[in-house]
Amino acid sequence: MPRSNRVEPFPRASLTKRGSAALRHGLLALWLLLPLAGATAQPKPSEYDVKAAYLFNFGKFMRLSGGTGEAHRANFEICILGRDPIGHVLDDITANESIDNRAVRVMRIGDAPAARGCDVVFISADEGEGMAADLAALGRADVLTVSDAPDFLKHGGMIQFVMQGDHVRFAVNLDAVDRTHLILSSELLRVASSVMGTPPEEQP
Amino acid sequence: MNLWNPRSIAGKLTRLNLLVTGTALLLAYVAFLAYDLYTLRQDLISSLTTEAGIVGANSVTPLLFDDQQAAESTLSALKHSPHIRWAEIVSADGKPFATYRQDLGANLELSVKLAPDEKRQYWSKGANILMGSRIEFEGRELGAVYLLAGSGELTRRTGQFGLLSALILSLCFAIAVFATSTIRHLVTDPLTELAGTAQVVSRERDYSVRAPMPASSDELSFLVQSFNEMLEQIQARDRALEESRNALEARVRERTAELTEANKELEAFSYSVAHDLRGPLQHVANIAFLLQNSSTTRASAEDSELMEKLVEGTDRMGALIDDLLNLSRATSAPLRRTPVDLSKMAETILVNLQAGDKKRNVRIKVAQGAHAMVDEGLIGVALENLLNNAWKYTSRLEEAEIEFGYREEAAGTVYFVCDNGAGFNPRYADRLFKPFQRLHAQSDFPGTGIGLATASRIIARHGGKIWAEGEVGKGAVFSFTLPYAAEN
Repeated sequence: MPRSNRVEPFPRASLTKRGSAALRHGLLALWLLLPLAGATAQPKPSEYDVKAAYLFNFGKFMRLSGGTGEAHRANFEICILGRDPIGHVLDDITANESIDNRAVRVMRIGDAPAARGCDVVFISADEGEGMAADLAALGRADVLTVSDAPDFLKHGGMIQFVMQGDHVRFAVNLDAVDRTHLILSSELLRVASSVMGTPPEEQP
Repeated sequence: MNLWNPRSIAGKLTRLNLLVTGTALLLAYVAFLAYDLYTLRQDLISSLTTEAGIVGANSVTPLLFDDQQAAESTLSALKHSPHIRWAEIVSADGKPFATYRQDLGANLELSVKLAPDEKRQYWSKGANILMGSRIEFEGRELGAVYLLAGSGELTRRTGQFGLLSALILSLCFAIAVFATSTIRHLVTDPLTELAGTAQVVSRERDYSVRAPMPASSDELSFLVQSFNEMLEQIQARDRALEESRNALEARVRERTAELTEANKELEAFSYSVAHDLRGPLQHVANIAFLLQNSSTTRASAEDSELMEKLVEGTDRMGALIDDLLNLSRATSAPLRRTPVDLSKMAETILVNLQAGDKKRNVRIKVAQGAHAMVDEGLIGVALENLLNNAWKYTSRLEEAEIEFGYREEAAGTVYFVCDNGAGFNPRYADRLFKPFQRLHAQSDFPGTGIGLATASRIIARHGGKIWAEGEVGKGAVFSFTLPYAAEN
């Protein structure tokens, strides 16, 4: 580059003023990722806050393959199976939200078969040995299974949270997804830390 | 080569030519460059908008799922856009999320940011443009992308335009030079030749030269043709003038010769007449003298009176003949100038006059020191005539006065002969110097009427002037000049 290496900043008085205003708003907008109603200033969201947001966001990048949609369900249900490590944060995030024009509901359920009617189910790591049974119980139901339990994908789970340093990431088992009518958006797959199995033939 | 000389028409035309082309080219350069830079900027903004949109769309999931790597790989696709030097995705809280640099040097600290209500905005500084675009997903703000486009292209375009303009300008210069040399052939050369011819004509008065006709036929050839025709007319007129002058001179010479010849014949005739008359007259006088003094024949009183009248007649006739001969000589004799004392000459003449008529009481006054370079013989005749004249016209006075004098004037010395005699009527002053013209009766003052004419002619031959002033009964003054320019 023949030009000077340092690019000059843009010293326009009005813009600078605007910039500082944007900064002030930026602090408030910190919570836009986790849009809490009446958000209180919090320096850093906790791990489960992030996971709650992810659970909600997964719903936006999944759909059912053509023709087999179960559009009769009025609500988009995010279920928590077993012990709930997330708490009210998820309820706060999803309040008054909708996905594909379906109101988002958060359900806490006790047994796996009840989860068949959910769209997304989060299986707590505390389920332990019961995890395989839960997955088996769900069978080929069109439910996106999510857990932060290690080896979740190996047991046939679809999305597993993994921690990379401070960052919450997720891995995907496409084979598990392909057994159902669910299709995950390639955009979602793009940001997955790893993807197991063959990618679906039908690309969104 | 007078291509650049501002005093030549070709030089002026070259300069004008280059000025016009140069100005036109400069204006065109500025206009095209401005338009091109404007278009380029608009294109750049439009392309930045698109790129910001694409980057934004591809940054939704990385932002949603906190994947900086994915965001950076999205940004790295910008390496295919060479104008983008720097890009950054910021998260909703305003913190940098992912950054792209075209080269390691490119660095930027964002000093401007999108206002909360702005979806897209750009800022420009110099040739740099910073584009900011909000990233949203389902109506929710996720962050923003900022792209900085550099100016390399703009500088390159300006340079290219400059180079192109320089090329065109040199081409125009070549064309101008070519056009000027053509103009030289068509306009300047004939004009220069015409100017040269005009100079020769005005300096040397040579009307025989002609300006060469230019090859082309236009106003110039018409001008040259008119100029040549004018020269021809002037030459013809010149020739006619010279011819007529020559003819005139020849005629004048001819006439002068004829006149001189006639004059000579006339003078020779009058001289011979006067001279030849003298012989017989002398004969008559001699016989009259013999008869008067003859002792043998006693003449009666009547006879002796007749005899006296005869002698008197022959005397008068002798005087007349002398005067005529003097007049003739005054005209034809060659002029021999020598220094002459006019005062002495006048004195001698007056003394002789006094001696010839002792009964008269005349007061004579002669101013001494009147010298002149004159022909002594001729001036003697003139002075004698003038003094005789004064002597004669004062003869009736008891106390006559005759004065010869002179005075110095601006035009030279004026000599005069003054008397207090009978004078004359000034109305007839011009007749005084004509031969045979007399203002007084022969009975009052006898005379031949030739004396003053002779004096006048002699003065004239000396190049002088003679004039008379007087009144009846109050005397007369005859003044004359004898100019002498030291000849040779």
